[in-house]
Amino acid sequence: MTTDEVVGESSRGRRLGGHVVLGVLSLACVFPIYWLYATSLRAPQDVYSLSVLPWPLSTASYTEAFAKNDVLGMLFNTGVIAVLSALGQLLVALLAAYAFAAWRFPLQRLLYLMFVGTWLVPFQATMLPNYVLLSRLGLLETLAGVIVPTLCSALGVLLLREHLNSFPKELLDAARMDGRSSWSTLWTVVVPALRPALAALGILLAISAWNEYFWPAMVLQRSNAVVQLGLRSFMGTEGNDWGPLMATAGLACLPVFVLYLVLQRHIVNAFVRSGLK
Amino acid sequence: MSRIQLQGLTRRFGAVTAVDDIGLDVADGEFLVLLGPSGCGKSTLLRMIAGLLPPSEGRLWLDDTEITHLPPQRRDVAMVFQSYALYPHLSVARNIGFPLRTRKRPRAEIKAKVAEVAATLGLTDLLDRKPRELSGGQRQRVALGRALVRDPGAFLMDEPLSNLDAKLRAGTRAEIAGLHRRLRATTVYVTHDQVEAMTMATRIALLNEGRLEQLGTPSEVYDAPASVFAATFLGSPAMNVVDTTVRAVDGTLVAEAEGLRLSLGIDADIPDRPVRLGVRPEHLTLTSAGGQGIRAVVTAVENLGSEEVAHCDTGVSVRGPRPLGVVPGEAVTLSARPEHLHLFDHDSGRRLAWQAASVPQPV
Ligand SMILES: Nc1ncnc2c1ncn2[C@@H]1O[C@H](COP(=O)(O)OP(=O)(O)OP(=O)(O)O)[C@@H](O)[C@H]1O
Ligand SMILES: [Mg+2]
Repeated sequence: MTTDEVVGESSRGRRLGGHVVLGVLSLACVFPIYWLYATSLRAPQDVYSLSVLPWPLSTASYTEAFAKNDVLGMLFNTGVIAVLSALGQLLVALLAAYAFAAWRFPLQRLLYLMFVGTWLVPFQATMLPNYVLLSRLGLLETLAGVIVPTLCSALGVLLLREHLNSFPKELLDAARMDGRSSWSTLWTVVVPALRPALAALGILLAISAWNEYFWPAMVLQRSNAVVQLGLRSFMGTEGNDWGPLMATAGLACLPVFVLYLVLQRHIVNAFVRSGLK
Repeated sequence: MSRIQLQGLTRRFGAVTAVDDIGLDVADGEFLVLLGPSGCGKSTLLRMIAGLLPPSEGRLWLDDTEITHLPPQRRDVAMVFQSYALYPHLSVARNIGFPLRTRKRPRAEIKAKVAEVAATLGLTDLLDRKPRELSGGQRQRVALGRALVRDPGAFLMDEPLSNLDAKLRAGTRAEIAGLHRRLRATTVYVTHDQVEAMTMATRIALLNEGRLEQLGTPSEVYDAPASVFAATFLGSPAMNVVDTTVRAVDGTLVAEAEGLRLSLGIDADIPDRPVRLGVRPEHLTLTSAGGQGIRAVVTAVENLGSEEVAHCDTGVSVRGPRPLGVVPGEAVTLSARPEHLHLFDHDSGRRLAWQAASVPQPV
């Protein structure tokens, strides 16, 4: 008898079966990623080889990718977009959610519904007006043009308001009794207490900004300022340049994987909390 | 140290009147307990005094300043919350020092003051801990410390002991009472626990459905309850209240009902009048069956250790030193001395007092 048996646990066989299914599923998830890195490490003439192990190893694809594009610059730009967009959204969401949760004001429900409503409007519907606006502002083909329209995210407001609604109201009252203004209560009481939730949301927003392809492609047009666009340069009408394409894609995924390894718990948390993906 | 005055304080939430026209004058150094059942408006009243909730009507003074429209930080009062409301991300020392940091006091002064308060409350060894690393009683003391550190004119406490277990509660009760004796700070203390009210209060304000039912010292409220509500709210088990008729028999007044006849000890001659008669369980004595009193059959006997409580079929209970000497099923007669009988108006439930002047004196 082991102590970690679960009451009502069925036979060993069924448990084994469950593990096999999970194992196969995770293999199916991991395999494309493995294949991506495997291909990027093959010698140029072996790119179409189907051998499971890439042998002999070669960094030729990486050399070519770096020669053709400023990969580091692209990674840096993408990083800037991801970080600024995430921070901006966090700030906007925090202020809006705090107002909705801590105060009572007229038309509160209506305003909140409108916030939520913007979440339901598909990206395709706002894409063109945003594009025209950016063009008038002269922000096309700039990083600012990519970032600014993403700054207000209904998702962030929604998630943070839920957190703030379950935030103990007596703490806000206590801060008021202790002499803090609303503004200072937000920064000295609410934000520190909500740090895990804010970190989780920030990571979620940064990763989705990092992975965004379509919107940067529209705003930045033909330039290859961000890494997801840089991938295009290896796709051509006469076929794709798989080696450097995979090398660049591998580098593009790397920061997300590293982030995931370092902050695993927070990220899983973020996706679970958001109920998305 | 401050005096708090309330005048006609009222708070409505939509159609509900949570606090209804309350006037109180809390003297400097007083320990006023707001007592009442759940939902009677105690917290609402306290939050209005704190400035966390604007009153619908009425006015408030702290000493000679009207504070009705002042925000909480400009009222010289500190509050202890039921949930303690400690800042979870700050250490005990920083929690206690928080109000002083808000007021931009010099660092050295804050440190000294926090150390002094921590020493008073026996928290010195816990100053570096986070609230989640503390027991309930320790958290409660930190919350108290955060209020103490400000040297406020008055303390407001909303059921500060309700999250503690019985033993800790008794200890902390004594501690708070001791602290009040030492500091002589005006305190308004909310509770629904009658033991806390009786032991700690200099005066009790008994609330019922938002209205002030009775205001008085613990003994006044216990010995001369102003209404049936007050009579049955305090005391354990509650005061026995029976519908009776007062009539004159042979020139003295007696209260009569089915199986009940008790002399009021007043010589007078008045027309019959329905009243509600109250008598505390500890004021009833068992007499041999057959005499004058309340006739009843014992249904259950409760052992409280030093005392016993006998419950009877008519809803009356008796309390006395153990053993009472009765067993369930036994028929008993209960009597009480006239000075221990309370009379309440049958309709309004208010206390009736005998006014000799109104008695037609026989010549
Ligand atoms: N924000 C509010 N909105 C609507 N009604 C409220 C609000 N706050 C309190 N009430 C109502 O006012 C009444 C008094 O509430 P209050 O919290 O003051 O009671 P209490 O005496 O403190 O009770 P307890 O002992 O359970 O804490 C209740 O009927 C409650 O439902
Ligand atoms: Mg309450």
